[in-house]
Amino acid sequence: MIDYFDLEASLSQEERLLVDSARSFVEGEIDDMGEHWIEGTFPTEIIPKMGEMGFYAPNLEGYGLPGVSETSYGLLMRELEACDSGLRSMASVQGALVMYPIHAFGSDEQKEEWLPALGEGEAVGCFGLTEPEHGSNPSAMETRAEKDGDEYVLNGSKTWITNSPIADVAVVWAKDHSEDDTPVRGFLVETDRDGVTTNKIDEKLSLRASITGEIALQDARIPEENRLPGVSGMKGPLSCLTQARYGIAWGAVGAAQDCFETAREYATDREQFGKPIGGFQLQQRKLAEMATQITLAQLLAHRLAELKEAGEMRPQHVSMAKRNNVRMARDQSRIAREMLGGNGITADYSPMRHMTNMETVYTYEGTHDIHTLILGEDLTGIQAYQ
Amino acid sequence: MKVLVTVKEVGEADDDFEIEGTDIASSDLEYDLNEWDDYAIEAAVQLAEAGIAEEVVAVTIGPERAEETIRMALAKGADRAVRVWDDAFEGTFADVSSKVDVFEAVVDEEEPELVLSGVQAADTAFGATGVALAERIGFDHAAVVNDLDLDADAGVANVHRELEGGIEELTEVDLPAVLTVQTGLNEPRYASLRGIRQAQRKEIAATDLADLGLTPADVESTLTLTEMYEPESDSDAELIEGDAGEAAGRLAEVLREKGVGA
Ligand SMILES: Cc1cc2nc3c(=O)[nH]c(=O)nc-3n(C[C@H](O)[C@H](O)[C@H](O)COP(=O)(O)OP(=O)(O)OC[C@H]3O[C@@H](n4cnc5c(N)ncnc54)[C@H](O)[C@@H]3O)c2cc1C
Repeated sequence: MIDYFDLEASLSQEERLLVDSARSFVEGEIDDMGEHWIEGTFPTEIIPKMGEMGFYAPNLEGYGLPGVSETSYGLLMRELEACDSGLRSMASVQGALVMYPIHAFGSDEQKEEWLPALGEGEAVGCFGLTEPEHGSNPSAMETRAEKDGDEYVLNGSKTWITNSPIADVAVVWAKDHSEDDTPVRGFLVETDRDGVTTNKIDEKLSLRASITGEIALQDARIPEENRLPGVSGMKGPLSCLTQARYGIAWGAVGAAQDCFETAREYATDREQFGKPIGGFQLQQRKLAEMATQITLAQLLAHRLAELKEAGEMRPQHVSMAKRNNVRMARDQSRIAREMLGGNGITADYSPMRHMTNMETVYTYEGTHDIHTLILGEDLTGIQAYQ
Repeated sequence: MKVLVTVKEVGEADDDFEIEGTDIASSDLEYDLNEWDDYAIEAAVQLAEAGIAEEVVAVTIGPERAEETIRMALAKGADRAVRVWDDAFEGTFADVSSKVDVFEAVVDEEEPELVLSGVQAADTAFGATGVALAERIGFDHAAVVNDLDLDADAGVANVHRELEGGIEELTEVDLPAVLTVQTGLNEPRYASLRGIRQAQRKEIAATDLADLGLTPADVESTLTLTEMYEPESDSDAELIEGDAGEAAGRLAEVLREKGVGA
């Protein structure tokens, strides 16, 4: 895949091996992502295989997790998203949104119970933050938890939850009404408990190769030890999102690289007016621009990894990288699609699939607008989103 | 038992490539583990997982660059590796017997009970290293093995060999033995992230000829590359038609015209 400034040369041997291995896994194990996308299915048989590979939360230590570098983690997300955003979303949700909070805020018992199973892909997790009435402003969430003896009773509904219909456990963020100031708390809710339903959302026009659903909680009772003890307030969910968004900043580069390679190959093969369309200045301009934008995004991702590794990454850095790189992939996938002419309209080629996926990626994990406002606040000190 | 696996890093040319002197420009080559060696590694690692092999050692003849490839073998489960290189190999085209000289010395050192080798290398495709090594070190051997069932107690390897024309030979090979491994033996695993991490801590012993008690004269090659060129791809293929007799007649004619058997 395009690497115009030879950033791959800056990788360690371990990181290069990871790229190699992830790429052969995707090539060898994912048969036809276009077909899954059309059918609206996820290749669930690869969930444990991805676990065996160590693709879930690979940057965390302990519990049999590989503990790779932040660059490695980013590279993995890039390789997965070059195939499809649905594939990367699977790994992001499981690793950054479910395993990360258990690892960071969970009790030893919670870690023992869930981290190995989730890491191996024997169990699937989901992350319930968004609600029907509260998306960009999750701190206004209505889902509530109330202590009753040694149990919590949960009520509320979450929507747009990646993997909820196939999940064994949901990390549900809810306001704890048995505490002063009703802080937001994380709860591990097994989806087979009474009072928990996870309806699937059908007919999405984006991220079709990913299963999305709701989580309805009606007097769902969970033991008190299912609450994540280590965090209170919006810091809980937001710190998870920082991890996942970091992966998205890398993943978007992969999707755009795949679009670029598809467009370049097509442009050098496809002939019109007696020569390859890539021989015309208009198409060359598109390729030149695409390559440049991808390279800039790549540089941003690599620098972000260095900051993260050094412990100097701020959430605002992640906002800028997610915002820029996803917009880049969204714009460039459309250009790639355009270069493929009529063929680009089919699922036989990846750009239009990536292009529609990017609508979700542009929206979830903080919309593009919301990241703009986060940066605006950081740059001026004045909050504009409320 | 100890299993020694010979592995080679091979370069695969990009679709468009330049020829520089007697080689393909290195910028146009993608280096990778030889496909058949991947099956050999997998077979060895499976033997280790089954408790039959105590140690799996990978050995390669290759420059420093080859470390990355051999590291992949370690990531897939080999325990350690030996990488042999020497200035004497620089710029030469090693023939089978010079490779066998090296591997013989490594076998002397490591004393494996089983040597697994790819049936051939994807670049030179000599298909000779494994069997020539067996001959030299006096091990039994079987070539083109696509099924392996090892009975360690009895000291035999029950193997299937793929022969020409879809024929399979079932045979027993007494250990110690060299087996050259063909596609179909197994499905090589991908290196997991855990394996890749662990591989960083495994040893790749950089070894030169002196370490093996060899001299440059021992590995002098009888082969030199004289020219590298792209074959003309304009072909005028002739489809030979008719019954077997007619076709054979025409084929003989063509071959004679081309100088075969002249
Ligand atoms: C396929 C898919 C998978 C998802 N997976 C998950 C998941 O696993 N878990 C989870 O919790 N959520 C998930 N989401 C939800 C996602 O995070 C939300 O959709 C997103 O946060 C936006 O919320 P909303 O849809 O309610 O839009 P809204 O918040 O209603 O926003 C609508 C529009 O208004 C804009 N807007 C909002 N506030 C402001 C403001 N202050 N100033 C200017 N503009 C503003 C937004 O940018 C947007 O353009 C998923 C979504 C999708 C589509």
